Amino acid sequence: MTVPWGSSQGGRFVEGASGFIRLAAGARWRLAWGVGLACAASMAGFGLLFLSGWLLAGAAVAGLAGQGAARAFNIMLPATGVRFFAMVRILARYMERVVAHDGALRLTGRLRARVYAALVPRAPAGLTDLRGGDLLGRFVSDTDKVAAYYTDVALPFARALLCGVVFVGVFACVLRPAALVLAVGLLAGGVLVPCLIGAATDRLVRVGAEKQSHIQAELAQTLQNLGEYLLLDAAHGRAVGWTDAQSTVDGARWRLDALEGAARSLITMLAFVTALAVLVLAANACRAGQVSVAQIPMLVLGVLAAFDVVAPLPLARQAAAGARLAGARLAKVCAPHRGVVEALPPHLPHAPYDLVLQNINFAYPQTVSPVLRNASLTIRQGEHVGLVGPSGMGKSSLINLLFGFYAPQSGSIAFGGVDVGLLRAEDMAAFVSVVAQDFHLFAGTLRDNLLLGAPSATDAELEDVLKTAQLTQFIQSLPEGLQTWVGNDGLRLSGGQARRVAVAQALLRKTPWLVLDEPTEGLEAPLEQALMAALVRRCANTTLVCMTHRAAVLPFMHRVVRVEDARFCPEGRAT
Amino acid sequence: MARGWLLGSVVAGGVSAVLLVCQFILLAHVVDDLAFHGCTPESEVRVFALILACLAGQVGARFASDMMGTQAGLRGASHVRGQLLAHLFAAGPVACAGVPAGEVVTTFTEGAEALVPYFARYMPSAAMMVVLPLLILGVVAGVDGWSFLVLACTGPLVPVFMAFVGYGAQAIMDRRWRQLSLLGGSFLDALRGMKTLRLLGRAQGSLERITHLADAHRRTTLSVMKVAFLTSAVLEFFSSLSIALVAVVFGTRLLAGTADFRSAFLVLLLAPEYFMPLRTFSASYHARQNVRAALDNMGAVFALPALAQHHGGQAVPGPGGAGSLSCQALGVRSPDGLPVLHDVSCDFSRNRLTVLTGASGAGKTTLLYALLGFVSPSAGRLEAYDVFGQTMPLENVRMAWVPQQPVMIFGTVAQNLRLGAPDADAEQLRNAAAQADALDFINALPNGFDTHMGERGSRLSGGQVRRLALARALLRNPAVLVLDEPTAGLDTASALRVANAIRQCATGRIVVVATHRQAMATQADVLLHVADGTVVVRPICKETVA
Repeated sequence: MTVPWGSSQGGRFVEGASGFIRLAAGARWRLAWGVGLACAASMAGFGLLFLSGWLLAGAAVAGLAGQGAARAFNIMLPATGVRFFAMVRILARYMERVVAHDGALRLTGRLRARVYAALVPRAPAGLTDLRGGDLLGRFVSDTDKVAAYYTDVALPFARALLCGVVFVGVFACVLRPAALVLAVGLLAGGVLVPCLIGAATDRLVRVGAEKQSHIQAELAQTLQNLGEYLLLDAAHGRAVGWTDAQSTVDGARWRLDALEGAARSLITMLAFVTALAVLVLAANACRAGQVSVAQIPMLVLGVLAAFDVVAPLPLARQAAAGARLAGARLAKVCAPHRGVVEALPPHLPHAPYDLVLQNINFAYPQTVSPVLRNASLTIRQGEHVGLVGPSGMGKSSLINLLFGFYAPQSGSIAFGGVDVGLLRAEDMAAFVSVVAQDFHLFAGTLRDNLLLGAPSATDAELEDVLKTAQLTQFIQSLPEGLQTWVGNDGLRLSGGQARRVAVAQALLRKTPWLVLDEPTEGLEAPLEQALMAALVRRCANTTLVCMTHRAAVLPFMHRVVRVEDARFCPEGRAT
Repeated sequence: MARGWLLGSVVAGGVSAVLLVCQFILLAHVVDDLAFHGCTPESEVRVFALILACLAGQVGARFASDMMGTQAGLRGASHVRGQLLAHLFAAGPVACAGVPAGEVVTTFTEGAEALVPYFARYMPSAAMMVVLPLLILGVVAGVDGWSFLVLACTGPLVPVFMAFVGYGAQAIMDRRWRQLSLLGGSFLDALRGMKTLRLLGRAQGSLERITHLADAHRRTTLSVMKVAFLTSAVLEFFSSLSIALVAVVFGTRLLAGTADFRSAFLVLLLAPEYFMPLRTFSASYHARQNVRAALDNMGAVFALPALAQHHGGQAVPGPGGAGSLSCQALGVRSPDGLPVLHDVSCDFSRNRLTVLTGASGAGKTTLLYALLGFVSPSAGRLEAYDVFGQTMPLENVRMAWVPQQPVMIFGTVAQNLRLGAPDADAEQLRNAAAQADALDFINALPNGFDTHMGERGSRLSGGQVRRLALARALLRNPAVLVLDEPTAGLDTASALRVANAIRQCATGRIVVVATHRQAMATQADVLLHVADGTVVVRPICKETVA
């Protein structure tokens, strides 16, 4: 087995421009092609106005000079040029959009894979937001923001730089001082203005994001304790608190917009001032005979067209601040994980696969009451054990401890003669199949979901586990059978149906251990009986652990263990 | 309120448009003078000054327009937030449990945020799409007939073709909507399923799946986007074409001497601006898309039933308060309509400690929720009587609740106690704490009532948190005190202490406790057992705990 998430990949891969360049390395040419097309489109736009100005003024000069001059003026060539630039602009802009978005989406894909690989070793412990916010949703939006760095930041700045150089070069061919003025104007608009707003933008984006996440955390906490807040009459008081925090966020947002608007206004002013300066220079140069009359309007229009590439930069600067913040957040969660065992363990669990917990003390991080206190439990291979007790009292913790998602504060857990602290979750999965309380069905067909844990299972095996899980009839009732879509946007399975799909999924893996958290939740009594009977029949040689609060499950078990007072209390056979 | 800002934004945008046109007229004038009429820059100083004045005015008006638009957006979003919040409070904890908290939070923050660009950009740009082109068309009509014809013909074609292509894109998008949203959500789906994948030992194999799905997402999105980009291409085509047409037509006529340079140059300057509002509008198309998605999410929140009936907060300080609560053939259903309790008839009386027992999942908590008003009964009645046996409205009964995991805010002990009674003085705090058997440990804390409790009360033990929550409830002097599993997760000694404290509170109150612990049940005056969806009264004896 190879480990795709080495420490080398963690850390700074998403932070800042250098991290972005590393991420973009594979799609380098495609991205460069996007920039090239964007430049082509902008230059064609510039050429269109530049040449149009010259065409009009040239024609006017020739027209004023009388019939002869008018006939000598070749309007066909510049007219063709104008049409050429017009067509190039349309095509280049369309292609630029397609290529640039393709590049951005490719980057998104790569980034998603990297973030995912970095997050896997710390799931689920590192991914539970203790304050209940939508941490996962934030990963998604942060990933998108970082990947949008290309279209929103890199592309506009690269285009401004490349096109700016070309525009100044073209001006230099016509009138040196005008080129100098244009260069100064473009630099002021493209470098000075973004720099001016840079620090303030960074600060405002950060302040807004911080307050925002504060509000989210507070709101999540209030929702979790909504009843108490309502009865304490404190809900509205909290709402007032958010309104204050929200007005800070709104204030930051307003100032950001003002900053960007001011920068945009400044650039517009710069454009016109530069155009007027160039006009004066060109008029004087015309009288000195350095340029022709026809070139005056051309230069003025050229300046106005040239500033088109600078105008989007304030917005790009703002996007850069957002992307950098998102990148920093991702880098923080994706930093190399200490708890991961890098090398293969010296030995894997061996038969008999007994589970021995000794003197376990365990509390979830940042919680008050311990879940297990000096608890011991032994489950031998082949036993069928019912684990009962009130909810939230440590039944499910057994799964987390077994797979090493959380480490106990003290005590030892051995599985098949090996300390589970030395095993990775992926090794443990080869021996233990689990249907957790919070199991997840992926968006996809029922069949995809069933085969997820055992891709090589045959149709006959599939048929068999569905029968055990009492799903055969239900599947037959579906018009599309196993090809029915489930998950978000798919068929809404009832809680009991979804749980039985998860049970079938676990059964298909044929591991020596099977751990089921509330397997019969949401089932009617006859179905519950049938499911348990079939399960027990099927698991004659399999260790079966059922965590449940349903009394009807217990008669099917060899023995029952009650979790009480943060301890395992064996109750013997329960009937 | 937001409407006024929006109107202001549009008006300022109009002013900016007028000044922009003036500015171009002046620019065309000065260029013409300098190039063809032999004027020197020095002689045109007044025009230069006018241009700069127009420029400043135009830019300022545009800035004002943008800012007013943003203000409208922010106000609109905050209004929606207020409504969302009000609805969440009205829905109550039971209904809210139906939607993942994370999703509600995202809707509340990011969803409402999506409304800002909609008001700030999309709506004003929709208005400007009418104002500016008409203005320019009017000016061009006064300057040159031919150009007017060109612009007047190409202009209306743009929306027509855009609508044409736009509808095509929309149709394609609708057809691939499921695929798009599926693939778009695939990353979130994968993140959510990470634990399941690890438990299945398939986390490594799924990396391939992520890459594959991302690739599929890219291809699908791009195929839709290509059509959407056609919309912009149409716009680009018409704007480029009309500039080229104006230039070439004017060129020919200038050559023939039938047109003057000033009008030609002015029309050339105005032509791009003629199409600019359309371009801005089609660029803010994303804002509309995002709002659509956000509104869908908000719809899900607003669709939550307003289950919470009364919270007993607005207690009328009458003599004596509630004497008893009575359930008469009460039935309660879960939010998805499944019956949880039926035919529950029982009384909860003053000065009595009533203890509810029963297996977990039997409906103890649901009965408590019904008492507290978080769910309304689907059948039967819940009545309140005052100490004289007269019926009284339920909303006048002051209730307090101590859940299994009481909320502890980030702050001091006193701040946590004052959560429900902001005006309580130190003496009241001490009394309530003493009643809840919390005074000793609070005094033993380094700073007493001003000790900081850390995140979620992490510096206190489980039993201390419970007693503190009890003190907080008592501080409101409730007529009805409801506690859910107050001793769960506590060792025997602290469970006993909490149980004793609760016992003391029954004087002058209705106290209802749901528990599975012996220590608590032995304190009961009335023992009710919840099983098979209904409630039976059990005789008081020491061996009755399920």
